[in-house]
Amino acid sequence: MFNFPDGLYVDVRIEKSFETKISFREKALQEQKARTKRGAFIRVYDGKRWYYISTTDLARIQDHIDSLAEMAVPNARIGEDPIVQSLEVHRQDLRRFEEESVTVVAIAEKQALLEKFIDLIADPAVVNHNSYYVDKKMVKSFYSSKGSAITFDWQSCGIRLNLDIAHGDQKDQMVVSKGAEFFGELPAYLSFFKKEIEKNIAFVKEAKPVEPGDYTVLLSPEATGIFTHESFGHKSESDFMVGDETMKKEWALGKRVGKDLLTIIDDGGVFGSGFTPFDDEGTKSKKTKIISQGKLTGRLHSAGTATALEEGLTGNARAINFEFEPIVRMTTTYIAKGSRPLAEIIGEMEKGIYLDTLKHGSGMSTFTLAPARAYKIENGKITEPVKISVVTGNVFTTLDLVDAVSSEFELASFVGGGCGKMEQAPLSIGFGGPYTRVQKLKVQ
Amino acid sequence: MKQEFITITEKETAARVQAGAVHAVRVKDITKKGVRVYRDGKIGLAGAVGSVDDAKLVNEAEENLSAGIEYPYALSGDLKDHRSYNDEPMSSEELLEQAEDILAVLRRDYPDFGFSELISTTELAYEMRNSEGLDLKYEDAFFVVSLILKEKASANLFDGFLAHVSRKFDPNRFWKFNRALLEAYRTKVDLPAGERLPVFSFETNEILYFLSQALNGERFAKGASLFSGKMGQQLFSKKVGLEQNRDPQNRPGPFFDSEGVVLKNNRIALVAEGKLKRVLTDKKTAQTYNLEHTGAARGAYDDPPSIDGAGSHALRFKTDSKDLTAALAGSPAIISVVSSGGDFTADGSYAAPVQVAFLFDGERLLGKLPEFTVSSHLDKMLGADYIGTFDNTVFDLGDIPTQLQGYYMTVKR
Repeated sequence: MFNFPDGLYVDVRIEKSFETKISFREKALQEQKARTKRGAFIRVYDGKRWYYISTTDLARIQDHIDSLAEMAVPNARIGEDPIVQSLEVHRQDLRRFEEESVTVVAIAEKQALLEKFIDLIADPAVVNHNSYYVDKKMVKSFYSSKGSAITFDWQSCGIRLNLDIAHGDQKDQMVVSKGAEFFGELPAYLSFFKKEIEKNIAFVKEAKPVEPGDYTVLLSPEATGIFTHESFGHKSESDFMVGDETMKKEWALGKRVGKDLLTIIDDGGVFGSGFTPFDDEGTKSKKTKIISQGKLTGRLHSAGTATALEEGLTGNARAINFEFEPIVRMTTTYIAKGSRPLAEIIGEMEKGIYLDTLKHGSGMSTFTLAPARAYKIENGKITEPVKISVVTGNVFTTLDLVDAVSSEFELASFVGGGCGKMEQAPLSIGFGGPYTRVQKLKVQ
Repeated sequence: MKQEFITITEKETAARVQAGAVHAVRVKDITKKGVRVYRDGKIGLAGAVGSVDDAKLVNEAEENLSAGIEYPYALSGDLKDHRSYNDEPMSSEELLEQAEDILAVLRRDYPDFGFSELISTTELAYEMRNSEGLDLKYEDAFFVVSLILKEKASANLFDGFLAHVSRKFDPNRFWKFNRALLEAYRTKVDLPAGERLPVFSFETNEILYFLSQALNGERFAKGASLFSGKMGQQLFSKKVGLEQNRDPQNRPGPFFDSEGVVLKNNRIALVAEGKLKRVLTDKKTAQTYNLEHTGAARGAYDDPPSIDGAGSHALRFKTDSKDLTAALAGSPAIISVVSSGGDFTADGSYAAPVQVAFLFDGERLLGKLPEFTVSSHLDKMLGADYIGTFDNTVFDLGDIPTQLQGYYMTVKR
């Protein structure tokens, strides 16, 4: 397909995407668009330095390969380079969405569905609302000078309602969102949206400021997912460890960081918003146990970091789109489910906070969770709604404070948002898990 | 049928940095095009990335008219305004030379730190023209140093940043400040005594985002805003001024909104002397709710103009204070450099962790502080506890002017 120059490693990632966005302001159509975009990202490696170019002109890919090759220094032994050696070779076509593609659903049908969800917004406490239907189908092809020739697809669709809720002086902006892989799954979410709208209205009407302090915190599956992603997921991205002896020692495999009940997994093979059957270096997805029964057992890698740390590939080299190179990112990351029923875990809590839904999170040395809906737990029951600015914890100590995980388990599905890492945001990722109890977090 | 064309081009050469050395070079040249057509009070849109014929996009936009999206507003027109803010962008060759030079100094003189991420040069152009005589063009170019700093003895993911954005890169200026900054990173100091401390920041994104939500004209008119019903009222300290400021000298970006509106002197006051004067409106919001039009429309190149997300990128506090040293009255203060993940509740309570902060005396950085958390309330931050908004002469981030804003806040170790 391409003429790859001698003495260099080359790969070409071609992305062809189809996207729909329909939005309403109240009941007035604001936007109805369907777009098809094409672009490519080309990498050339001479054993010392990588050379990248992103382009929207697919007819000139060969020209770009040749121009990058002129910048590089041909290396007769490039095949022996450990990074090049580590890169996998696959020749597969894994398209799953040809028959139930969002591209073949009429835009009028998508709009009609969105209007059914908008009809759920009838309470006068919702004083303003904007509503969205979005979908995206991506067909990725990957070719390398080692012989890879891969094509796969990925798609998602979903509904998002942004609600301005006001009740006297009590006001807030709340979001209800749900995503799916197939358009046909969405109508079943009407009852979920109805309940969520009601919960949000009740929350805004009744929530009172929290008394700041340290609390035992119970996390919903959604909150568990963001907690996992922010408190430890980023720590497992091994590009932070390359060339850093302190990090290698601090996060040595085998180190105990949590109790036996804690297992954290990253798996690009899970269907949903983090589905990555092949990463953007052509590595097949793998199920990586980052933490197994409280001990560090794995890290997330690109070919470069795996080589530097002398570990295996994990399929976590990802780019947000064709404008960027792959870097180490999570796919679908979750805490494995436990064996205790939720009711039992709540029942033994005399005082605490339940984080139901979140607005955002962040993960540095101190990780943060900004709740949308949170409630007090008193004497074994979830009681009053409380307004919380932010919940924080220390990434080095908090995992060991996880003392219960439920047998109930759920992966989140949503549209809008994603993970940010330096210049690359947002990346579609998956997360979720069981209900998770943390003995102590700072609540403000 | 009226037609409108939006074209955005971005050219970038980036040196990707890993373990203190350039490990990759990335070249980008991306064009994005949007076309809007207007007929019988309706708008139709089309867009594409790459080189796509205008006629093809016009046809697609015409087809989109059938969706029936209302836009019964007069188009901006009869204005030609082309502005270029940097006629001598740094070349790719010079970028790589500068990147190698900077990294060589960092490796030689600062071996106790690791550096990664990116040094780049970017050229941007935004064009908007229409059949009514509108012809706007904004061109700019920047040299950017965006390096994650990691103390090698630390187990954190990262411990701070070297950040610099310049239209004309001056290595002497860069090193004068960043050598002092790196020495400050090496010098560990304790927080001053007490819980109520002066905290300054050049990153006011969180408060500006919160204010942009409250100043959204649609939310204001519908009673959903914290400021609904308070037009003309005293919201904050009399010192506080807040404007929508589209002057690219202060904040790189187009000097026009997504409806092609150019503000007089590039700015319009929203809060003056602490009183609410105006809110953020596009043409639709202004007409629908009988509010003053403030040119705040947003939207991607192929989106319709909208008030959604208006403001935070263009809001700027007015500099209201001059003598930072005098304001501190001899007491050291905190300058917050990285505060990630904090937030306001809907009624204005604020809390945030501060991951990286320095002690300073109004002129110099005295040393790096341990992590802590801050809390306050919007009414206090811009009210009784407001110290002021100053030109940033302490933490040099390049040749694009920045500000330092300070408040007394509750600080918890």
